[in-house]
Amino acid sequence: MERYWNQEMECASPEVMKKLQDERLVAQVKHVYENVKYYRDLMDEKGVKPEDIKGTEDLRKLPFLSKADLRDAYPFGLLAKPLSECVRIHSTSGTTGRRVVAFYTQNDIDLWDECCARAITAAGGTNEDVCQVAYGFGLFTGGAGLNGGSHTVGCLTLPMSSGNTDRQIQFMQDLGATILCCTPSYAAYIGETIHEMGISPDDLKLKAGIFGAEPWTEEMRRSIEKSLGIKAYDIYGLTEISGPGVAFECSEQNGMHINEDNFIAEIIDPETGEPLPDGEVGELVFTSITKEAFPLLRYRTRDLCRLTRGKCSCGRTLVKMAKPMGRSDDMMIIRGVNVFPSQIETVLIEQGYSPNYLIEVDRVNNSDTLDISVEMNPDQFSDKVKDMQKQERELAEAIKTMLGINPKVHLVSPKSITRSEGKAVRVIDRRKLHD
Amino acid sequence: MANARQISVFVDNRPNQLAGVMRLIKDKGINVRALSLADTKDFGILRLIANDTDKTVDTLKEAGYPVTVTEIVAISIPDTPGQLSRALDVLGGEGVNLEYLYAFLGKSDKSVSFVIRVDDVENASAALNKAGIIQLTENDISEM
Repeated sequence: MERYWNQEMECASPEVMKKLQDERLVAQVKHVYENVKYYRDLMDEKGVKPEDIKGTEDLRKLPFLSKADLRDAYPFGLLAKPLSECVRIHSTSGTTGRRVVAFYTQNDIDLWDECCARAITAAGGTNEDVCQVAYGFGLFTGGAGLNGGSHTVGCLTLPMSSGNTDRQIQFMQDLGATILCCTPSYAAYIGETIHEMGISPDDLKLKAGIFGAEPWTEEMRRSIEKSLGIKAYDIYGLTEISGPGVAFECSEQNGMHINEDNFIAEIIDPETGEPLPDGEVGELVFTSITKEAFPLLRYRTRDLCRLTRGKCSCGRTLVKMAKPMGRSDDMMIIRGVNVFPSQIETVLIEQGYSPNYLIEVDRVNNSDTLDISVEMNPDQFSDKVKDMQKQERELAEAIKTMLGINPKVHLVSPKSITRSEGKAVRVIDRRKLHD
Repeated sequence: MANARQISVFVDNRPNQLAGVMRLIKDKGINVRALSLADTKDFGILRLIANDTDKTVDTLKEAGYPVTVTEIVAISIPDTPGQLSRALDVLGGEGVNLEYLYAFLGKSDKSVSFVIRVDDVENASAALNKAGIIQLTENDISEM
């Protein structure tokens, strides 16, 4: 039977949710306008006053915020509460440029913890569970978010942070961890290591995993589920909005429910900024309606996905977001074609290769080159050069079918591509060096 | 007649890779009897015959190397002009397809030895036998 952490919110009728969002949005816009000069200037520039916003249908009147705004306003420009009322900061990993710092009041932390508690509950977690948090702790929101959610649910929490895989596995066994929270690439690595150590998933008590903070594919989900003997749930979030738990997956494992009593989601056309109807793919935009210290209105996530409404088989009515096709930051334009690393990963797993790979993009004589290093499959190893080269050719063909452009595939030794304990670095784009 | 087994190892095309394999083999006191390295732009395939095939395979697998074992034909022929040509004619006459071959040190300086990788070991072996060409077993090679 499906369990909820906050059934009233998670299963609210559309009318109740709309009314709540309207009230919270009106109050939030007023709070931001009065306390955040940076956003007030943007609103004034657009000729919008707080009185113009009467409900969610007026959202489109508000100006957008982007990562560039967050950098411009660094460090205090978007703060809406006195520092004396703030209790913590978190910061982005800085993978795509200068770090962004977000602030939290105690109430912000409590609401965030609840969002993560909903995610853990949806993955089957109760106070009987042992929750191993192997996301990084510190400035990164992953560790803190799931740690808080686990406490809220009342699980026995193992605040492992990432890394030290032998110790992770030892604690997992000795303390009988039932839920693992980490990045999907680290989960895959733990799975691999367990098998190398000769431990079977049956020797572990693990039943569920909550994996997020980087894009992963359905194929990778199945492979992790198999290697760890668990059900793997996706979780979504971003530091700018709070952290993991903005959206979470339920037993249906088909899209993530957005905690829309806290965050209003919109999909827009990334070119024109115009809102798109439900079901269409576009850029995901969030408006925080409960955050006090760092309340972002219409923040452009650069994640491309679609939203679907309607009651889910799990009973929740919260709007669902599909797994993002990738951040527009991850998207590469190679010879004019949009390429996401997740597409390449899908082909690799389909063809029986490990999802550890390295994409290198460069420009030679004004033409883009795409080189993909892939760990060879030891079961397919042949002493004949032509057999091995055939494998490279066939993989290149399959990737070409998926992407429409021709890559060069390079087979390398198993385990020679660096495993990640946090966010995996899978793309090196050298073209930037030439610009 | 038992043919000899050859061990193939996948090695990355980076410095110190072959050295790493040979170090492992040395540490186990294994003697390599025959060796060849095929290289491509991306990787190399090291092929070797050792005096202890099973121990070599276990050692390499334990260290994480992709390894495969294949049956090959090994011949010993007089070190005089035209001998290899004759052996290859025998195989060609039987329609045996040759993948690759390499020479290695034999017992005496009057003969030379070759590892021949063919698609049909049984057929190749029978044909060579009929033509009176000496074939070496795994045991012969390890005792060289």
